[in-house]
Amino acid sequence: MGEPAALRAMRSGDANVRTSRTGRLREGDAIGSSIAVREAVKRYGSFHAVDRISIDIEPGEFITLLGPSGSGKTTLLNLVAGFQSLDSGEILVDGKPVHNVPTHKRGFGMVFQSYALFPNMTVSQNVAFPLRMAGVDRATTERRVAETLEIMRLTEHATKSPSQMSGGQQQRVAIARAIVKRPKVVLMDEPLSALDRRLRESIQIEIRDLHQTIGSTILFVTHDQGEALTMSDRIAVLNAGRIVQIGRPLDIYRHPTDRFVASFVGESNLIEADILQKRGSTLTMKNRAGYVFCAESRDTIDVGRATVLVRPERIAVSNEPTANSVPVSVTSAIFLGEILRIEARMESGEPLLIRCTDMANRPQPAVGDRLHVSWDAADCWVLA
Amino acid sequence: MTSASIGIHADRPANLDLVRRLKDPALLLLPALAFLSFIYVLPLIDLIRISVSGPSWSSYFERVFAIPLYWDSLVRTMQISVTVAGLCLLFGYPTALLIHRSRGMAQVLIATAIVLPYFIAILIRTYAWMVLLGRNGPVNKLLVSLGILSEPVQLLFNRGTVLLGMTAVLLPLMVLTIYSSVARLDQSLPRAALASGAGPIAAFWRVSFPLTLPGMGAGFLLVFVAAIGFFITPTLLGGPGDQMFAMHITQQADSVTSEGFLQALGVVLLTITLAVVAVAGRFLGFEFIWGGRKLTENAPIPTDRYAKARHHGLGASAADLIGWPILRLFGRLPASCGTWSVRVMGGIVIAILILPIIVVMIISFSNASYLTFPPPGFSLRWYEQFFSDSNWMRAFWTSLIVAAMSAGIAIMLGASAALGIVRSSIRGKSAIMLFLVSPIIVPPVVLGLSLYSLFLRFDLVGSVFGLAAAHAIGGLPIVVVILSASLQGVDARLEQAASVHGASALTVFRLVTMPAIMPGLAAATFFAFLHSFDELVLTLFLSSVQLKTLPLMLWGDINYRLNPVLAVVSTLEVLLVIAGLVLVRPVLATSRKAA
Repeated sequence: MGEPAALRAMRSGDANVRTSRTGRLREGDAIGSSIAVREAVKRYGSFHAVDRISIDIEPGEFITLLGPSGSGKTTLLNLVAGFQSLDSGEILVDGKPVHNVPTHKRGFGMVFQSYALFPNMTVSQNVAFPLRMAGVDRATTERRVAETLEIMRLTEHATKSPSQMSGGQQQRVAIARAIVKRPKVVLMDEPLSALDRRLRESIQIEIRDLHQTIGSTILFVTHDQGEALTMSDRIAVLNAGRIVQIGRPLDIYRHPTDRFVASFVGESNLIEADILQKRGSTLTMKNRAGYVFCAESRDTIDVGRATVLVRPERIAVSNEPTANSVPVSVTSAIFLGEILRIEARMESGEPLLIRCTDMANRPQPAVGDRLHVSWDAADCWVLA
Repeated sequence: MTSASIGIHADRPANLDLVRRLKDPALLLLPALAFLSFIYVLPLIDLIRISVSGPSWSSYFERVFAIPLYWDSLVRTMQISVTVAGLCLLFGYPTALLIHRSRGMAQVLIATAIVLPYFIAILIRTYAWMVLLGRNGPVNKLLVSLGILSEPVQLLFNRGTVLLGMTAVLLPLMVLTIYSSVARLDQSLPRAALASGAGPIAAFWRVSFPLTLPGMGAGFLLVFVAAIGFFITPTLLGGPGDQMFAMHITQQADSVTSEGFLQALGVVLLTITLAVVAVAGRFLGFEFIWGGRKLTENAPIPTDRYAKARHHGLGASAADLIGWPILRLFGRLPASCGTWSVRVMGGIVIAILILPIIVVMIISFSNASYLTFPPPGFSLRWYEQFFSDSNWMRAFWTSLIVAAMSAGIAIMLGASAALGIVRSSIRGKSAIMLFLVSPIIVPPVVLGLSLYSLFLRFDLVGSVFGLAAAHAIGGLPIVVVILSASLQGVDARLEQAASVHGASALTVFRLVTMPAIMPGLAAATFFAFLHSFDELVLTLFLSSVQLKTLPLMLWGDINYRLNPVLAVVSTLEVLLVIAGLVLVRPVLATSRKAA
């Protein structure tokens, strides 16, 4: 999951070196800005689209705003871009407040969901536009545009009009336009949602590699949890105008703070259980079906009721009862290729979702079959 | 044996084929096409025939171009039309932007200020300018009280008033045409320009402005074509030196001696109009006429002209030296510069459109016996006079009856044609649509002239039905455009869903299609009614002493004496339009969203 730690360490070290350099945007030294959002509020009438959000984004970080539609993620992005103004709070870029800086002077790059390529310009004119507006001379512009088009593998399309290109190509042009100036911040507003799945995955990787090359801070908005997990350094999960949780993809997935995050990011079983006993960080719990199991948890949990998250792929399945297993009956079993997705029901009536990898000796269970499932203490996560 | 069985098998498909052909929605086009062929195409062909019936085919045309009076007037008509279209563009564009940028109640009010005058008769709006600029009008009063003038002067009857009046009359057409192209613009494009570092005004000039050029072109040409055939406004507001080409046709219409020559004048006007439309259609697609999009789903036109390398040589260095620096300079201007110029220009337009109407409405309540503003006191005496005058009342009822009949004809033919064009898979839909809508383009004066001969031959001059049918020529395109747009808005899958679940074709139409196009039908009826109710030019040719419509009475009175009774009629018309607009507002709102 995610990128190798070594690579990350190397890159952050690299970023530190580059931070110490001075000077404006010269080629090769594009580095990210830090962005700090403090108590940001944006209202539409009585509706709080963004409700006192605070977030600190490190220079060069790839941060994803993840949330369902209406959670305020796009509004927050528009506030950072300067398309909308804050009702209260402030946004600092490199420590300086930007509320008086209009969009075009913030110097960001931006990729839009609808690509927003200028239809009256060719691909290379589109990409050259930010440079020309910044007053870069023609020779330099042409060289930088050629370089950027090459990075995005668009060189042979330079003289085409955007309408002559496929969706994936158009989106690569939009990305080229956003990065050609080597901006310190690149904003991406659901840039992949209009593409089909395969294209989406290949551009995901392209954007991540690009991020490592240019080192800009990237603020990425998506409602697709898979996208967020693959690409981000950190994910901020939003719901109803607030940040519910912020953290590394692994932390968000393994240790969600509440039911919303647990069910929005990845598939999940949320099991209601009573805490019988607490010893150190290990809890002994019993669910409604009478299954007694242990769970690792933080210290703050008290004895009483709790919700336990067990990811479907962490559940061990066997055909025979084992020590400390619980019987379930299969309600549906779908073969997805490398994965077998089983929906089952415990004796208490609670549904249980199981994902197990396809193996030669594992037959596809039929509806009504009895299975015995179990999980380890480390595979549970007790929600607050 | 074999041949017999083949015969039977061959027979059945033929029968089925016939049934299918009879059910083909394309047949629904026939009534409208037949109607237009008889009352619109035939007279125009006849017009052309008469125009070439001289000693030699070109003899009448030679006369037209040999007499300086007509040649000068033709040149003048072109000059005036270009100027008017230019002025409309200059003021109309910011106004369209103003509508687009405003929100909520402000937007509704501004849009109403533009749409309302659009539907008020040209005659009445021209009359309002006569009142406004008259010797006792508010403009003279204001200038005198400010000390700019020592005594009231004649502001009317010169080139300036013609340009002002025509611009004011045609501005709504321009604003609405440009607005639909501005509203169609993807709003993330200007944002993308901002995010690329272009200031708001630079973003506008480099992105939004070029992308709305087709809309501007369409607006310019529509206004230009309308202006060429203009007759009412220049007649009332112009002086002897401002004769426009269409005016000659009406002036000559009474003299029998000019037969042939008169038709030649008409053909010249028609040819110029059609030539302009043809050139425009070549570049913009003929859909610009009715402000719609293509009926058939065509691939987007490849914009090859952008792809052509043009960033080398002289052009490139000029762009480097002048273009981009100026654009960057524009980019430095704060957004408020743009906002305020849009507000000021839009404000002027709204004032020009609304002030005359308000002045006329106020004057209708005057107690003075002549036109003066502000009125010395208020009374209902002119309303009493209007409602007690049998001539006015008869004209009013005649207009109502003619308009109702005309709307009925237009709706029946138009609805059937709209169904035919949207639901059939007939080839050449665009050409058929163009034909159905083309009466909008033909100058009314030419249409009136050509109809006059037809009506004489069939003894229809002065008949209510004849007049209603003539008015329906212009009403039909309105109905077809509105209804085919609403029919296209009906989700075909809804109809399929209904028929899959057991509804017969008729039930589908009754339960799914009808309710969906009901608002469109209401709007179309209203606009077809209004078109006939306001019609003057055809009526001038086709009415008789016994058959006088309201606009015709107004026309006569305006030429004789300007009294407040006319203001009463105008006020009533404004109220009628407001009531109608309130009625069809949902339709306008949705069609604007769709646009």
